[in-house]
Amino acid sequence: MQDVSTLLLDSTQRLLSDLSERNASRTADAADLSADWHQIEEMGLPLAFVDEAHGGLGLDQKTAFELVRMCGRHVLAHPIVETMLANHFSVTAGGALCDGPVHSLGKLTRMQQELAALARAMQMAGALETILAMTISHVEERSQFGRPIAKFQAVQHSLALLASEVAAATAAADHAVGRFEEDADTATLAIGIARARIGEACSKVSALAHQLHGAIGYTREHRLHHFTTAVWKWRDEFGTQSWWTRRVGQMVLANGRGEFWPMVTSA
Amino acid sequence: MTKIIFPAPVESEAAEQLRADVRAFLNDALADRTPLQRAESWSGFDRDFSRAIGQRGWLGMTWPKEYGGGERSTFERYVVVEETLAAGAPVAAHWFADRQSGPTLLRYGTEAQKHAILPRIVAGECVFCVGMSEPDVGSDLAATRTRAERQGDGSWKVNGTKLWTTYAHESDYMILFCRTSGGPADRHKGTSQLLVDMKQTEGVSVRPIIDLMGRHHFNEVHFEDAVLPADALLGEEGQGWAQVMGELAFERSGPERFLSSIQLLTELIGALQDSKGAAAEAAIGRLFAHLVTLRHMSRGVAALLEAGENPGIHSAIVKDLGAAFEQDLPDIARSLVDEEPDLQSTSNFAAVLAYTMMAAPVFSLRGGTREILRGIIARQLGLR
Repeated sequence: MQDVSTLLLDSTQRLLSDLSERNASRTADAADLSADWHQIEEMGLPLAFVDEAHGGLGLDQKTAFELVRMCGRHVLAHPIVETMLANHFSVTAGGALCDGPVHSLGKLTRMQQELAALARAMQMAGALETILAMTISHVEERSQFGRPIAKFQAVQHSLALLASEVAAATAAADHAVGRFEEDADTATLAIGIARARIGEACSKVSALAHQLHGAIGYTREHRLHHFTTAVWKWRDEFGTQSWWTRRVGQMVLANGRGEFWPMVTSA
Repeated sequence: MTKIIFPAPVESEAAEQLRADVRAFLNDALADRTPLQRAESWSGFDRDFSRAIGQRGWLGMTWPKEYGGGERSTFERYVVVEETLAAGAPVAAHWFADRQSGPTLLRYGTEAQKHAILPRIVAGECVFCVGMSEPDVGSDLAATRTRAERQGDGSWKVNGTKLWTTYAHESDYMILFCRTSGGPADRHKGTSQLLVDMKQTEGVSVRPIIDLMGRHHFNEVHFEDAVLPADALLGEEGQGWAQVMGELAFERSGPERFLSSIQLLTELIGALQDSKGAAAEAAIGRLFAHLVTLRHMSRGVAALLEAGENPGIHSAIVKDLGAAFEQDLPDIARSLVDEEPDLQSTSNFAAVLAYTMMAAPVFSLRGGTREILRGIIARQLGLR
């Protein structure tokens, strides 16, 4: 990755951490949110998918998707990813850059929907990473029966399973982004695979994380719910998990028994 | 460590050309093999097949040419391994040697052993078995009781019993993990690996253990004052634990941990051809998504191995998720297709379903139980 990208990723990481910490310790009003958004725009985040000719950052897709993953790691109230997508759709259709945050993308073409679905996959992978890190911290800090609950084998095995699901989600998202970068026109299957696999990981990871956090994780005060409720929403957007999963199944069944394995190795 | 990344493998034209060659070869070589036979996966044993694979240069592919190897990449070997598994080829006559015994010999064997044995593995003519488990020693491998004592002339006298030794009755050699000093209380200290010639050594007896399907793969191998030559010691005396962990890393890292039931998924897709519906689409889509993701992760393990890194947690994750995926398959198949599982059935689906259902319990036992793997993952996450 080039130096410019590394710098951008580092400073984005810092900005998003600052914003999420700030918002954890206050009830943000309209003025706060508007100040936050100003910082997000200054960083150029809404232009991640816009080329330089249209006033964008001209990032390679890998870097742009890394920014999307970061947005998933820090679930904020701001529609950063939606605005990234809206700007991209607008300029590629010959329109102008959007003015301010975009909350809803409206009706999308098939190609637009696939990009948006892939972005959600990356956001989910990012959010799941944070849920894993939060859960590890929690089980190491929380003591019961005179020792950290991380020392109990039942807890260790649940956490191992949680980490495995997160690793699978990350692998599925990375694979789909790789296929999309190679050729966006033929990435439908890889995106569907990512959405099917990550959607399932979201269910398992959320259930395990809430179980391991105990009752405190079910409170409004604790930040776990920002992440679990976010992935419950994202996994069914731009095509529900069920819709994407069936789509993959339809493609496999249409090819039939003889083409099944070649399809695996080329997916 | 909270972020677990599986690196993307480097795609190469050489590997894809090789894939086409392997497919064409398997298509001919396995033309008469029924789906039920293919479902045996890496339990199927056929010396002629292993010799034919060896003749094509598809064994010991990554080893130095000096010992008959091909000096090819980890990815090229991966292609051969996954294509043979997907086709349901009978690989057991070369599988253990190519996967773990050969690499262990390459690292710890004497020059004489390497020159004598590795070219025979490469030719598909040398069968190995794995001497780890014992009657009272399963997951707790460090508690090994089998003992090798050094004699005055430098030779080793072995006493003890190994268990679940797959294809010991067909094997030319075993790599034996045992105690060479101290007692079980010394745990990892005082263990070593020794090379056992299964055909020439007196005092070694092999007794069959029949599995729940009535098959004979497992054995009990009994050593009674069996004498091994001085140069049977592999690597360093007392370093057996570190060496056997290295061997297990090879044993756990491959795609056989999620591809051994691929025949059932293939037959399920066939059985659903005329009865597609929402439930079938959802189930097949889900399974396909799991399979492709597991494969992507597994190729990441190959990339880590190629880069000389230790993929301990990565291998454990792929094996644990892979076993769960395979063990779910029979019930999913049963829920979608209205056919009684039956090994004798003329329906390929019914026969393969019966076979896989009965093979499934062992998927999360062999090569490291689910509980051991989750312990490894938790340790790597810093919890233990």
